[in-house]
Amino acid sequence: MRKEDMVKLISAEGFEFVIDKDAAMVSQTINNMLTSPGSFAETQHGEVTFPEISTTILEKICKYFYWHLQFASGKETEFPIEPELTLELMMAANYLHT
Amino acid sequence: MESELVRLCIEAACENRESVEKWRRQRRSLERLPSHLADALLRRLIHRRLLFPSLLEYLFHFFSSFKILRMTNLKELDLSRCMKVTDAGIRHIISISTLEKLYVSETGLTTNGVTLISSLKNLSLLDLGGLPVTDQALSSLQVLTELQYLDIWGSEVSNKGAAVLQKFSKLSFLNLSWTNVTKLPNLPSLECLHMSNCTISSLLEGDGGKPPLKKLIFSGAKFENEAKALMHIETSFLSFLDASNSSLQRFCFLPNMEALKHLDLSSSIMGDDLVKHVACVGANLRNLNLSKTRVSSVGVGILAGHLPNLEILSLSYTPIDDVAVSYISKMPLLRVIVLSNTNVKGFIHQKGAEPDFFLSLKALESLNHLERLNLEQTSVSDAALKPLSSFQELRDLSLRSASLTDVSLHYLSSLPKLTNLSIHDAVLSNSGLNLFNPSATLKKLDLCGCWLLTEDAILSFCKKYPQTEVRHELVHILPSNPNGSNSPSPSRLTSRTLLVNQKQGNISISSSFVDQRLKYNREELLALQYSSFSLAIPLDRGSTTSQLLMNQSSSMS
Repeated sequence: MRKEDMVKLISAEGFEFVIDKDAAMVSQTINNMLTSPGSFAETQHGEVTFPEISTTILEKICKYFYWHLQFASGKETEFPIEPELTLELMMAANYLHT
Repeated sequence: MESELVRLCIEAACENRESVEKWRRQRRSLERLPSHLADALLRRLIHRRLLFPSLLEYLFHFFSSFKILRMTNLKELDLSRCMKVTDAGIRHIISISTLEKLYVSETGLTTNGVTLISSLKNLSLLDLGGLPVTDQALSSLQVLTELQYLDIWGSEVSNKGAAVLQKFSKLSFLNLSWTNVTKLPNLPSLECLHMSNCTISSLLEGDGGKPPLKKLIFSGAKFENEAKALMHIETSFLSFLDASNSSLQRFCFLPNMEALKHLDLSSSIMGDDLVKHVACVGANLRNLNLSKTRVSSVGVGILAGHLPNLEILSLSYTPIDDVAVSYISKMPLLRVIVLSNTNVKGFIHQKGAEPDFFLSLKALESLNHLERLNLEQTSVSDAALKPLSSFQELRDLSLRSASLTDVSLHYLSSLPKLTNLSIHDAVLSNSGLNLFNPSATLKKLDLCGCWLLTEDAILSFCKKYPQTEVRHELVHILPSNPNGSNSPSPSRLTSRTLLVNQKQGNISISSSFVDQRLKYNREELLALQYSSFSLAIPLDRGSTTSQLLMNQSSSMS
C-alpha cells in the first residue's frame, strides 16, 4: 500500500490513526484540508492534528468513515453509538462535516 | 443541513430515557454544544417524548436558545439561576401568554428584559430576585394587575418605585429584602412581607384597610424609630415574625401580636430585661429562637410558665446554665431543644445537701414529646448524660465535647427510638464502639473527630449494623440501599466529600462558614463533587451547620 494513499489523524492526546485517504475523505473538512491548493502542511505530509478531538472520539470517527464507505457500497448495517459519546461525537462530526 | 453522523448521534442520544441519563451529566460538553445542535437535540427529545420538565429545566442552564419550544399552554416556568437566560431568551418566553407563574431570579436578565415581562398579563406570581430592577422597570410592570406574589430582593428599587406597588391591588406576598426601600405604602391585601436587611422608617402607612399580615421577616433590618415604623401594622393575625439580627430595641409591639406562633429574635438585643414582652405572647408560640441573645437562666425562668404550646426552643450561644434546664422542663409540649454553646453542665451543686449535686437533665424526662436535643459545645460530662437513657421519644441527639467517653455511648444504647446520633470530638474507644448496642432505628451515626477510633473498628460496627450510615474521617460507609436508586442522594454527596477530605486530612471549620447549599443549587453541587472545589466543603456540613442553615434559611424563605 502506498504511503500517499494513507493519512494520519492525530488526536488531542497525540494518538495517531493511520487510515485510508478514501475513508478520511468522507469528512468534507478533511477533504478540503488535503485537496486545497497551496502548500498546507496537511497536504504535504498527509497528517492532520485535531487538538479539540479526544482519542476515543477520533477512533469512533475513523470507524464511522469506514462504515460510511461500506454503507455507500450497499452493505446495510447499523452504526452503533454509545449514548455517553453522543454529545462529543456530535460536535466532532459537526466540525468535520461528516 | 445536518451531517449524517450528527443525525445518528442525535438519534442515539434520544433513544430512550436510559440513553439520556448517560449524557445529561456531561456539563462541559453541554456548555460547548453549538446552538443549532442544541436545538436539534431538543427537537428530537420533544419528538421522542423524552423532554420531561426537570430535564428541560436542567437544559435551560446550558442552552441559551430555545425558540423551538412551543409551549402554548404552559402556566408555570421556573428559570431561577439559569444564567444563560438573557433578554433574548425572555423574548421567546413572553410569547407564552398563558403563563401565570414565572421565576427568573438570578438569571442574566437586564432591566430591559424585566420591562418585557409586562406583556405577560396573566401573571399572578413573578420572582425577579437578584435582578437589576429599577424604579422605572417596576413602574412598567404595573399593568400586571393580577399579581399576588412579587419578589424583587436585591433590586435597585427605591421609595419612588415602592409607591408603584399600590397598583398591584391583589398583592399578598412581597419581598423587598436588600433594597433601598425605607417607606412602604399601604398594601391592603398584603399577608407576607420580607424586608430583611432594609432600613425601615415607615411601613404600610396610608389610606385603605389595614392588611391582614401573617408573616413578617425583618432579619437584619434597621429601624430608625421602631414604634413609629410599626405603628400602622395590624398585628392581630401575625403568626410569623423573624426579627433576628435586627436593630429592634424595645419590643413594645410584641404584646399586640397574640396570634404569634413563630418568633425568631436570635442575635437581637433581647435579654432578661425585655423577655417579659415575649412572655406576653407566649400562649400560642410554637417556635422560639433566642440564640445569640443576652437571655440567661433568669430570663428562661420568666418565660417558663408562659409557653404552654412551645414545640421548638433554641437557646444556643446564650449565657444560660443548668438552672434554665429545670425551667425548660415546664414547657410541656417541647419537641426540639437546642442548648449548644451554653454554660449547661448537666448537674447543679447544692451546698449542704446530700448528695451535694443533682443531674439537671433529669428534669427533661417529664417532656413526653422531646424528639431532638442538641448539647454540642457544652461542658456536659458522661455522668450528666445518665438521665438521657430514659428519654423514650428522643430521636435525634447531638453532642460535641472532648470530655465524653464510652460511658456516654453505653447510656444511649437504651434509647428506643434513637435515629440520629452525633458525637463529635469525643474520646470514644474501639471497645466502646464495639459494645455500643443501639436501637434498630438508628439511621445515622456521626463520629467525626473521635480520634481514637480506628478504621477496622468502625468497619466492623458498620457490618454489624448495616442499616446505619456512619460518618467519620476514616470511613465512608453507607447503609445498603435496596432500591439502588441512580440519582445521587445527599448522603452520597457527603460520602464523596468525606472521601476527598480524607486525603486532605482534617479540615477545621471556621465559625464564619456558610453552608454551601445556600451558595449553590443542586445541579451545581452535583457538578462540584467532581471538581477540586469539593475540597473546600467541610466534611460534616450536615450536623454542625444545621443551626446556621436554620438561621439563614429563615431570611431566605
